[in-house]
Amino acid sequence: MSWVGRSIRRVEDPTLLRGVGMFVGDIGGAAAVRFVRSPVASGLIGAVRGPAYTIEDLDADGVGNIEAVLHRPDYVRLAQPLLARERVRYVGEPVAVVVGDTAAEAEDLAEQVELDIEPGPAAVGIDGALAPGAPLVHPDESDSNVMVAGEMATPGLAEALDRAHAVVDLETVSGRQAALPLEARGSHAVTERFGGRTTLHASIQAPHMVRTVICDLLGMPEADLRVVAPDVGGAFGQKLPLAREDAIVVWLSRRLGRPVAWIEDRSENLMASWHSREQRYRLRGGFDAGAHLEALQADVVANVGAWPCYPITWGVEPLMALAELPGPYTPEHYGVRSRGVASHTCPMSPYRGVSRPAITLALERLMDIAAARLGIDPVEIRRRNLQSEFPHTSPTGLRHDEGTYREAMEMAVRHVDLGAFRSRQQTARAAGGSQPGIGICTFSERTGYGTPAFAARAMGVTPGYENVELSMDPSGYVTARIGASPHGQGLETALSQIVADEVGTDPGRVRVVASDTDRTPYGWGSFASRAMVLAGGATYLAAQQLATQLGSVAAEVLEAAADDIFLADGRATVAGTSVGVEIAELARIAHHHTQRLPDGAAPGLSAQAGYDPAGTFSNACHVAEVEVDPDTGGVSVRRFVVVEDAGRLINPMIADGQIRGGVAQGIANALLEEVVYDEDGNILTTSLMDYLPPTVAEIPDIEIMHLETLSDATVTGAKGLGEGGTIGAPAAVLNAVNDALAHLGVELNEMPATPERVREAVRTATGTPAG
Amino acid sequence: MKPARFAYAAPDSIEGVLDALDRFGDEAKVLSGGQSLVPMMNFRLARPEVIVDIGRVGGLDGMSVVNGSLTVGARVIHARLEAPAAAMPDGRTEPLGGVLGSLLPEVARFVGHLPIRARGTFGGSIAHADPAAEWCILARTLDAEMVALRRGGERVITAADFFETVFTTSLEPEELLAAVRLPILGDDWRAGFCEFSRRAGDFAVVAAMTAVRLDRATGAISEARIGVGGVAGVPVRLPDAEATLVGEVPGAELHAAAAEVAAGEVDPAGDLHGSAAYRRDLVRAMVARALAQGAGAPG
Ligand SMILES: Cc1cc2nc3c(=O)[nH]c(=O)nc-3n(C[C@H](O)[C@H](O)[C@H](O)COP(=O)(O)OP(=O)(O)OC[C@H]3O[C@@H](n4cnc5c(N)ncnc54)[C@H](O)[C@@H]3O)c2cc1C
Repeated sequence: MSWVGRSIRRVEDPTLLRGVGMFVGDIGGAAAVRFVRSPVASGLIGAVRGPAYTIEDLDADGVGNIEAVLHRPDYVRLAQPLLARERVRYVGEPVAVVVGDTAAEAEDLAEQVELDIEPGPAAVGIDGALAPGAPLVHPDESDSNVMVAGEMATPGLAEALDRAHAVVDLETVSGRQAALPLEARGSHAVTERFGGRTTLHASIQAPHMVRTVICDLLGMPEADLRVVAPDVGGAFGQKLPLAREDAIVVWLSRRLGRPVAWIEDRSENLMASWHSREQRYRLRGGFDAGAHLEALQADVVANVGAWPCYPITWGVEPLMALAELPGPYTPEHYGVRSRGVASHTCPMSPYRGVSRPAITLALERLMDIAAARLGIDPVEIRRRNLQSEFPHTSPTGLRHDEGTYREAMEMAVRHVDLGAFRSRQQTARAAGGSQPGIGICTFSERTGYGTPAFAARAMGVTPGYENVELSMDPSGYVTARIGASPHGQGLETALSQIVADEVGTDPGRVRVVASDTDRTPYGWGSFASRAMVLAGGATYLAAQQLATQLGSVAAEVLEAAADDIFLADGRATVAGTSVGVEIAELARIAHHHTQRLPDGAAPGLSAQAGYDPAGTFSNACHVAEVEVDPDTGGVSVRRFVVVEDAGRLINPMIADGQIRGGVAQGIANALLEEVVYDEDGNILTTSLMDYLPPTVAEIPDIEIMHLETLSDATVTGAKGLGEGGTIGAPAAVLNAVNDALAHLGVELNEMPATPERVREAVRTATGTPAG
Repeated sequence: MKPARFAYAAPDSIEGVLDALDRFGDEAKVLSGGQSLVPMMNFRLARPEVIVDIGRVGGLDGMSVVNGSLTVGARVIHARLEAPAAAMPDGRTEPLGGVLGSLLPEVARFVGHLPIRARGTFGGSIAHADPAAEWCILARTLDAEMVALRRGGERVITAADFFETVFTTSLEPEELLAAVRLPILGDDWRAGFCEFSRRAGDFAVVAAMTAVRLDRATGAISEARIGVGGVAGVPVRLPDAEATLVGEVPGAELHAAAAEVAAGEVDPAGDLHGSAAYRRDLVRAMVARALAQGAGAPG
């Protein structure tokens, strides 16, 4: 029986559940670093007085600037200093840094630092940043706030829209969100007194990349910096880009010759970590008489904040929207302009799902509105539009491998029993009071981006491949050293299942070593639903090599042909016989009796493989049932159903966990979480009293079903699924809210659908004056 | 997120507490459950120089029924009001019955989350004076009396005089809130409580409490109280809306009419969690529902 496909328990959990994990904040023994941050959105820095280091100290040490680059003509290139130089560009931008013996003392010191800042005008929201004469965020480098602008159109788009049977125009808005990992960011650096080598422990997703960029900035060889991500309490993309703070912590430890640590607090995290997803979509959909979406035109704007993130850049949101907007649908004609606009607000990093929650909101609202306009059911319009021939090539040239877009939707709809729901809904409408609604969302999730996908974005640094090194030690245990950097996803468990199957052992005899640049091969880390595809693929390939090596040792020992050896249950056996040998014994021989190895065989048992596929598409259908109180605008989610097809499931329980967490974040996106700035650029949501992640009370049980269409684009047949939950849930919930209030004529296309927005929409639709 | 430096005192008697408050005056803050004070200190929004912890003082966590009112000791934790029991005039401790006995648990479950209810205290909530706090709304609606002690003296402050503005009461720095007296509502009273919050356990955006007294003969309302929180710096009573109820027989139409008056009577300021107009909408909905609840009819 194979280990792949089984819901074995996660090896990661005992440590975490018993509270004996090791997070950056647990390391201790270091002086406390605190950043002095800008209290205003925009301004010119005068004097900085007090016991602090500033950009002048970094300059004096020759510390470089961060350059996050896209090689595109429309991209504005900037050099970002590690601390603000001359200007501040958002509330929370680090201007100076202090070091105290304790965190409380560092906070006292930070209070003593006086910043003379001459406040200037701020560009805040999308409209504010795009307005003619808007205050410029980078006046020396650009005469507008548009930092990246992609555009494309297939020939014949305008004609296709002209001859459409029905044209639907729509504007959707996605509020600004923060990824809100349970553990905020943090870093801890120690520099050895002799030799001067530095070890950085940081709460990050991509240790190798962070090592490279910090060494570039500080002008030091990479061999002199070890970067370790210990236990990481959630990241979701917020810990993917370089944190300026982490680079400064390394610099301080080297300069002071003293261990230093920065533990970000929740307010800093909400104000000055990274935000995401403040986007506006204007869509025009041209449908033929059969309700097929023939032509899709879009104007997308993403507010990308004050600085790009390294190495992803601030092109990630707008350019992903540009490339992936057609989603699971098949418009022949597609045209798009997608801009990233800078503002005097916190910078953006890709947050789980990146642009796809907003893309999906736009598309799925379009489908529901078109269905209502054309007098057909939301299920029917999707039936007529979803991809069903594979591979499908999108108008932007993306190859979709085989999926089950329609099958997933039919399965979900059957499961919720739409007919019974509609009759309940009729009863509720007649009775008044709270109104039930149902919303469907179908989407594709592009996963396992390899080098080709990132290269297409012309990134200055092109991530992609993953490397894995496997070795079997003399006791017969396998160690997998991986370049990916799991932080709670359960990758260690899943990889051990893959290894166990190939090598014929059990997962308990596999150890995964990750997130330490001294102990792992170069790799890109964990993000973008890639680890299972990339690290899983590389592990699979390396494990096959290891199995071949074991097979040839066994063949020698058992005096059989290597092709006749099979590995299972900890033994190598000659096919068709009971003749065999323990794998552990083979491991001994391979290390301790190399005279018994076949001629020319290298001593030991080890293999290395890299993997770098083009990418693959998962698909899913989410259905949300909500109840809306028209008097208060309150929405509660009563039921949530997911049918997901992520190809081969290595560990279904882990897959379900990924979906559940993602859906919770998606529901938060739809109803609760929003980073809010006032018009001067002051951030209003700097604590969890004002920024509202859901509690367990706001999230219903999530019913999950799977389809398993093996990918032909990956060696394991697996597709990624780490982001799907966040991608589908917002649109499903918004469609459900609209469905609940459809009889009142409500149309609400902005998320989060806060109670106040819902109430406002009810008032507008019913002509009830305010108050 | 670390507090500024402070000194800490934990006297083990009321006298010790009152001495400390007398000595340090407005440099001191009483620490009860710490569920509001500690976060404010961590944000450095509160910077007391001396913390006077009352957790070691006996005698502040009793509940008793005396002279037609329920006395709730300042250190009674929220959780105890989910199933209130009090010492009766005859000395026995019994579950609290009647209208108040069913109202208190109904309200208590809205106060924060379980861990907060297990630490936070009734008196702490009253002294903290958040305008949306359930216990403050209850105290204002029922005209509770606050018993304040200072070295060598005691005074009783009515709710109307106690709450001054956001997080501000008429307690003097030298005074300790020792207990709160709530009137026991007779069985001719009907009470209801309804609130709207963004998430389970959050402070209410708007909350309303209603209590009406019914004339046994006619079934008409002889006395009415409506208190709402989340619309001003303190919980407020709505006399115009109350007046629309008096002399009338409860029913959906009357409730709607009173709720309409209530919505017009408040003058909220808008903030992140709700504009003025939205809060008025919520007042309308919450008052109507609290009244319906009190009438025993479904909201
Ligand atoms: C996440 C969260 C959610 C919450 N949700 C709610 C909610 O929905 N509704 C709600 O009402 N509350 C809520 N609270 C607040 C909670 O109820 C607090 O317990 C309460 O506000 C204060 O009580 P305490 O005993 O914790 O007081 P403390 O925090 O110790 O003190 C609060 C203030 O009162 C003063 N004080 C305390 N006791 C006395 C006394 N005897 N005499 C004089 N002064 C005194 C203190 O000096 C301080 O200024 C929430 C708190 C948290 C952390």
